Amino acid sequence: MFGSDSFWITLLLRWCVVGATTLVASLLIGSLLALIMHGGRAPQVIASSLGRAFHDLVFLSTRRIGAIALLTFKEAYRRKAFAVGIVFLGIFMFGGWFLGDSTELRSVAPYISIVINSMWFMLVPMALLISCWGLPADVKERSIHTVVTKPVRRSEIVLGRMAGYGAVITLILFTTAVVGYFWVVRQVPQRLSDQLIARVPVYGNLKFLTAQGAEAEKGINVGDPWDYRSYIEGQTKARAIWKFPKINKAELKSLGKLPLEQRFEAFRTYKGQIDLETRFTITFVNPDKDLRVPGGTFPTREFDVGGRDRVIEIPEQITYRDSYEADAEEKTANLFDDLIADDGSLTIEVGCVEPQQYIGVNVRDLFIRMPDKSFTMNYVKAIAGLWLLVMLLVFLGTASSCFVKGPVATLLVSSLIIMGYFLGGHIAEQQNQMMLMDDGKTVIDAGGPMESLYRLVTKETTLPDNIGSTIIKGTDRGAFMVLIAVYNLVPDLNWFNTGELVATGFDISLMGVILPCLIVVLGYLIPLVILGYFSLQLRELEHK
Amino acid sequence: MSTESVIEIRNLSKVYRDFWGRTKVKALNSLSLDVYKGEIFGLLGPNGSGKTTTLKLLLGLLFPTSGEVRILGQPAHDVEKNERIGYLPEESYLYRFLNADETLDFYGRLFKMSRSELKQRKEELLDQVGVKHARKRQLKEYSKGMTRRIGLAQALINNPDLVLLDEPTSGLDPIGTRDMKDMILKLKSEGKTVVMCSHLLADVQDVCDRIAILYRGDLKVVGNVQDLIQSRDETQLLTSPLSPDAIRDVEETLKKHGASLKSTSHPTTTLEELFLRTVEESEQRPGRRFEPGERPTTESA
Ligand SMILES: Nc1ncnc2c1ncn2[C@@H]1O[C@H](COP(=O)(O)OP(=O)(O)OP(=O)(O)O)[C@@H](O)[C@H]1O
Ligand SMILES: [Mg+2]
Repeated sequence: MFGSDSFWITLLLRWCVVGATTLVASLLIGSLLALIMHGGRAPQVIASSLGRAFHDLVFLSTRRIGAIALLTFKEAYRRKAFAVGIVFLGIFMFGGWFLGDSTELRSVAPYISIVINSMWFMLVPMALLISCWGLPADVKERSIHTVVTKPVRRSEIVLGRMAGYGAVITLILFTTAVVGYFWVVRQVPQRLSDQLIARVPVYGNLKFLTAQGAEAEKGINVGDPWDYRSYIEGQTKARAIWKFPKINKAELKSLGKLPLEQRFEAFRTYKGQIDLETRFTITFVNPDKDLRVPGGTFPTREFDVGGRDRVIEIPEQITYRDSYEADAEEKTANLFDDLIADDGSLTIEVGCVEPQQYIGVNVRDLFIRMPDKSFTMNYVKAIAGLWLLVMLLVFLGTASSCFVKGPVATLLVSSLIIMGYFLGGHIAEQQNQMMLMDDGKTVIDAGGPMESLYRLVTKETTLPDNIGSTIIKGTDRGAFMVLIAVYNLVPDLNWFNTGELVATGFDISLMGVILPCLIVVLGYLIPLVILGYFSLQLRELEHK
Repeated sequence: MSTESVIEIRNLSKVYRDFWGRTKVKALNSLSLDVYKGEIFGLLGPNGSGKTTTLKLLLGLLFPTSGEVRILGQPAHDVEKNERIGYLPEESYLYRFLNADETLDFYGRLFKMSRSELKQRKEELLDQVGVKHARKRQLKEYSKGMTRRIGLAQALINNPDLVLLDEPTSGLDPIGTRDMKDMILKLKSEGKTVVMCSHLLADVQDVCDRIAILYRGDLKVVGNVQDLIQSRDETQLLTSPLSPDAIRDVEETLKKHGASLKSTSHPTTTLEELFLRTVEESEQRPGRRFEPGERPTTESA
């Protein structure tokens, strides 16, 4: 998803559209306010304050920003913000208790999760509190009066505060991350230490064939309410078909084999022998050469948590027979030369062997496992993801503390966090799609808030064709747009969830995860600085 | 003294409003005032008369309800002009977790100043305001007068051309007060302009060239201190203590010359008298403005 160019273009486009919309909206509101306050002189006032804003936001002094950042840092330090770090160290001292009996554990994930999660639970509230309460206190105590009567721009105050809080949080994060690392490395039992790796998965796309052999997007639902996996039945034509586009042929060739890892789940309709595992077959398909080459039959190994036994290695040269007849001629195929299609893709079909048993698959349940990377680097990347998240929170907190007091700012950013996790970009995407589908007619069948109200009151099912209904629809459309705007402004915090990956031993892609997060944070930084600047600039810094 | 205006205030009004835009206080009514280059200007008035409000408007900390302000030729919201301004707030609004050294470093770094220049200036000022012995102590441990002193040092860190001091002597001991006065006079001798608010009229009389008296947001008196306190239509006699008989005799004599004895009292600081009379008069006859040189009169003895 992150790798493709179109993804970036969409993201950039969305940023521009949302940014421009917000800008135009605030300009309109600002102009209206200026007109009310200054009457005929409004255009002059607007022009001069915009000119000033441009100057203040572009010609920044690092010396002054540095001075404010240092002040902010000292403030946190002298007010003992770093004491929080001690709490974290406490968690480690007694961390073993949370994990229970270590001889029972089969995975290293809990060790890593406890570190990343306790860092999250310590740093997120902390980022929120220090960034939301600092500036309002400065205004309340009027110490800001002595600062703004010096030649410091309000934009520099915002940036300096952000940098200062950022530095405080970074220092705590860095220290706890180092302590956490050594704790993990030392606490993980010897027998599990081979799980401290970073697997590099290459994922494909998944399609299905039904038991009758028809193409389908999904397999069977076995009644599991969580339909993460869909199922294929054994000894039928049902298949799960992965297509891995753009295979890195050269790198695989140098390995001399194709390492695959599967995380399939078996579903039994009868109780067979429990230790006799459900098996599946693998078939390589090259449609360009009309080749179908069996890759072998393997057990699901569904009770293997660490995943060591779920790796399948297919040799480069595959020897196979075309049919099951005893006299069938033995053939060989080169996995990389014969089975990769002309467009560079590799297709793998998976079927279930045992009749009346099922195998559950998700698109991520089969991946090519490129050579592992180091756990340490992966841990560093997970910490980087967390760092970017708390930086985003610091920026959000500082910017909102420019226009509301501490408690309100905290509440505001907290709700943004909650929305960011639960709604994220999903709703925005859906809403945007609805906008795209809209062909000038009503988007929502039941109408928007105004239309529903009208229908509720009049008990009509449709709107009459007159001015009134145009107004109603217009208002609804406006409300809908505001809704979309709000959803679009919420950052999708799920992107920053890198802890899960490092805990389960998957490589956090620098280009695919960390870079997008960095860009999101920068994408928010610019508008937030502008917001903070105008909030401080257009406001009397008197405590009310 | 030149007639070049450093501060121009034209019809400046300020109404404090609450969150809903309702009027709370009319703090300043259509104030017009000029402060000239190189003078020491005193802003007087009873508590709540709008002195601090005026200074804050000048510095762009508050936005005027109407009217205009130019300070060093720039509008109040201009940031660049602050390079040449020093401001001592009413209460020293400083960061209490910093020590004196760090305080001056912090404020100094907000100006276009080289490190060595700042260091030298810092040493000078710490010496001048007399807190050098406590430079490594956090301000939260400072006494009120010490805080005031470091506040003044902070205001002068950039060697400003225009200094605005809001009650500079409040909280200072007698020696501190004298040092402060000396420092203000020294600033004047260096060609700097000083605007100060104060309740210590003797001090104001000592140092100020011109004063303005505000009463509930109205300008009542403005002018040269010497002109204001020198009255043309009254003569003050200073004698050794007189008996009631002697006073009666003096009264007789005055009557013969067509004059009257208005009051007998021990002499007071004349500015103090002017101030008290202005306030009393304003209470009795609201809305009247006194022209420069004219002296408010009052019957009360
Ligand atoms: N932030 C504020 N909100 C509402 N009213 C205010 C505010 N600041 C000052 N006032 C009011 O404005 C008026 C003028 O206040 P100001 O502080 O300018 O007086 P002052 O002359 O400096 O008094 P003092 O000698 O006590 O320092 C007062 O009535 C005061 O109550
Ligand atoms: Mg005051």
